[in-house]
Amino acid sequence: MFHSKIFPFSAIVGQENLKLCLILNAINPGIGGVLIRGEKGTAKSTTVRGLADILPLPSSLVNLPLNATEDRVTGGMDFNRAIKEGKKVLLPGVLAEAHQGILYVDEINLLDDHIVDIILDAAASGMNRVEREGISFCHPASFMLVGTMNPEEGDLRPQLLDRFGLCVEVVSEKDPELRVVLMEERERYDRDPDQYRAVHGKENQKLAEKIKQAGLLLPRVKISKQSRAFIAELCSANNVAGHRCDIVLEQAAKAHAALLGQTEVTLDDIGIVAEFTLFHRKRDAAPPPPPEPPQPDKDQAETDQQDNEQKEDPGQTEQENPGQPDREEPDQEGADKDSRETEQPDKGEDNSQEAGEDKNRRDPEQVFEIGASFQVKKISSPKDRKMRRGSGRRSRSRVSQKQGRYVKSSMKRINNDVALDATLRAAAPFQAARDIPEGLTVCLKPEDIREKIREKRMGNFLVFLVDASGSMGARGRMAASKGAILSLLLDAYQKRDRVAMVSFRKSEAWVNLPPTSSIELAASYLKEMPVGGRTPLSAGLEKTHQLVNNALNRDPGTRPIVLIITDGKSNVAMGENRPVDEALMFASKMGEDDRVKYIVVDTESQGIVTFGLAPKLAVAIGADCCKIDDLKAEALVGLARASA
Amino acid sequence: MEKREIFPFTAIVGQEQMKLALILNVINPALSGVLIRGEKGTAKSTAVRALAEILPKIEVISQCPFRLPASETGEICKKCVVEDCVPETRMDAIKVIELPVGATEDRVVGTMDLEHALKKGEKRVDPGILAAAHRGILYVDEVNLLDDHVVDVLLDSAAMGVNTIEREGVSFFHPARFTLVGTMNPEEGELRPQLLDRFGLCVSIQGSHDPEERVAVMERRAEFDDDPKAFCQRWQEESRALSNKIELAISLYPKVTIERPLLFEIASFCLDVGVDGHRGDIIILKTAKTLAAYHGRTEVTSQDVEHAAELALPHRIRRKPLQEVASDVSALRNQNRKSNLK
Repeated sequence: MFHSKIFPFSAIVGQENLKLCLILNAINPGIGGVLIRGEKGTAKSTTVRGLADILPLPSSLVNLPLNATEDRVTGGMDFNRAIKEGKKVLLPGVLAEAHQGILYVDEINLLDDHIVDIILDAAASGMNRVEREGISFCHPASFMLVGTMNPEEGDLRPQLLDRFGLCVEVVSEKDPELRVVLMEERERYDRDPDQYRAVHGKENQKLAEKIKQAGLLLPRVKISKQSRAFIAELCSANNVAGHRCDIVLEQAAKAHAALLGQTEVTLDDIGIVAEFTLFHRKRDAAPPPPPEPPQPDKDQAETDQQDNEQKEDPGQTEQENPGQPDREEPDQEGADKDSRETEQPDKGEDNSQEAGEDKNRRDPEQVFEIGASFQVKKISSPKDRKMRRGSGRRSRSRVSQKQGRYVKSSMKRINNDVALDATLRAAAPFQAARDIPEGLTVCLKPEDIREKIREKRMGNFLVFLVDASGSMGARGRMAASKGAILSLLLDAYQKRDRVAMVSFRKSEAWVNLPPTSSIELAASYLKEMPVGGRTPLSAGLEKTHQLVNNALNRDPGTRPIVLIITDGKSNVAMGENRPVDEALMFASKMGEDDRVKYIVVDTESQGIVTFGLAPKLAVAIGADCCKIDDLKAEALVGLARASA
Repeated sequence: MEKREIFPFTAIVGQEQMKLALILNVINPALSGVLIRGEKGTAKSTAVRALAEILPKIEVISQCPFRLPASETGEICKKCVVEDCVPETRMDAIKVIELPVGATEDRVVGTMDLEHALKKGEKRVDPGILAAAHRGILYVDEVNLLDDHVVDVLLDSAAMGVNTIEREGVSFFHPARFTLVGTMNPEEGELRPQLLDRFGLCVSIQGSHDPEERVAVMERRAEFDDDPKAFCQRWQEESRALSNKIELAISLYPKVTIERPLLFEIASFCLDVGVDGHRGDIIILKTAKTLAAYHGRTEVTSQDVEHAAELALPHRIRRKPLQEVASDVSALRNQNRKSNLK
């Protein structure tokens, strides 16, 4: 492409692992590509482009932009030839272009899932099969797949991770000396790129020659039975799934041996490349354990002391204090409070009021730390027929923009997103009666035009309705709930949702956080959310209802998901009815609106005596009810699927 | 049509950091842009729009839709939509291209000309905003409200310097190197780390708390509204002086040198505050050199380095996805150093 703009591969400072992985793949394409995980600004793209520059590949680096459409990836019908010559011809896509070259996907974790599937499928089979728009076609597509990703932006699915032969993590150099050298090199390059390239041309050539020789040597590289046994042992010790890891490891070890000019794989070769094959495949011994507190017992004993420490250090977050949710917050008092409260829902209003006030006095507001966070399982709203605009990656929806997957065609004209196959079909019956323009074989009229209906994932509007009453302070419930909310917020960040938060305590409900995309803001509110007082659940429901309705009025395309985090023990009513009945009545009214999806997160801890009020609420509102633990990704059955 | 007067850049009261960051980017496009974070009504947009007045001129091929210089022809020209391009060049001012928040992806990367396709049986792309922004300044107001997929496109282009289109049977690419200038109000949501990282510099601004300055703001605005022409004329002298200073700095920049110990200073700065990757180092270095050139020196001083770090690091300091962007870089560094010593 723009040749003079490529920084020479041999002049890249550091990133030895990355360079090695790329070179191994260049020697032995059978390894199956490299996934580069890591920070921004660590010469990921520069290195890949540098390598493509020196390899004697028939086609060089093909870059797949994130907004590529499926027809350009696999190839599709050639518009020009269809209309000019009346022939159904495949216009080769990116996969064909990348054949015998490198396919580079920056930020592969942000690519639409179905496109990632197509690419990995082709990479694995070396063939690209096109079955679309009335074309059936198959062509070889063997390429070296290189993807980059930043894990903060969401991970790839494990199935996809496994398809990448090697995975290498890049970090910036920590040695100041190296950093300085890096800056100097970069300055030299910027001053005169052409000259700089000329200076490093020789080294580049040497490396290219070395790769070529290694490639020639590769078929003769042997591997002993003993080495194979070592590989098998390594893989099983790391609990990898399936056998791909073993095979990739062997291929990579062979390439490494060839690189060193050996004809026999040594244990050293295996040891060096094992890191890159196991990195994304190794699992902890099954079943995947929950985020285990390192020293639960000691932790509990030191509860109070640690608590103070943590308050002094706000920078400390979830992973670093995993012991918290399990901890019994001021244990004695908590249990005490709980038992007292258990009577409340069934008592008359007068009594409960007194008890509540009494408790308020004795039990001032507290702010609980945020408990451990975890990977959240899939939550999404069901599909409907509404067209939306937007982005994100939570729920599937039809879209009114040229994004996403082409699922069918329509006569409605929205945005000139022409569905060629359907348009030609629509025009076909009239061809005999039309004057065909010169140079063309088909006459298309505006009324023939069919547009694509597309489908893609989009962000939702998540509303958190948080019970901040005194009962939530008991038994570390609030810490665990906050942990769960924070996890959901992190998930919301990756899925690009909008969020809002409503909380209720004492006798009122507040909108703590009006609808925003600022997850940061949500997290800081969450941190400061105080707990104490009684439980005006109905007020909370009412506030949420208002908030959601406002959002729906403003944009009917919004898909709200309301997460109600409570133990359901309503004890303050807005009207004359008993608090619990009132809350249930509100809930069943709100449940009638099927544009809103509800999920009740029951925070009541399992014990001998439970009230099961949250499940009742869930039934009334037509929601799934789950415990905090059920929200974790490891939980087996998908919530959304269960409800569908 | 009479030209609408733009509030002169030099007449903007205060907001020195923002003005400096913009000027540095004009001097050295390799700084790759500036992100201006701040509340409403702090002359963010005014400053960016006013920038057009003081921008230097560049050589472009007259008919070229990508405003290429004569030296940058090649692959792209073979596929060009302009037939029989005459390699005639002229001097043209750098442009400020605005990317509206509601822009569709089509408008940004380029659109297919449907009519042409139906009549001639050929798909043709009309270049979009990214093509127009090549070698210029791409200004995105409220960059944090941009649609996610438009952000992806921006990132791709900013990273590669090339806009690649692989959509709907059209395969097309053109150079798209631009200085990205974005404004945002952090209350409305944060930017994704990758996009943050693409901005060379970052300044946080707020309204002035000095009553005198506030009065000056009001007075100047009133003067401008009364008679824009006369107001601009009054400031013409200063604008010209600034333009000259910028041009001088541009010619001086290649001669600026930096001593090795200062490079170590830069590296340790980045290590102390904790940044991802090496872009921080490189941008500090370039910013420091540009600062020196702007001040008419050919030698980078340690003050330049510190100042450059304050401009180049706030948005790069490593943070968890839910943490806020750092405000005071030097203070953070000292704090981290102290805690490391302990």
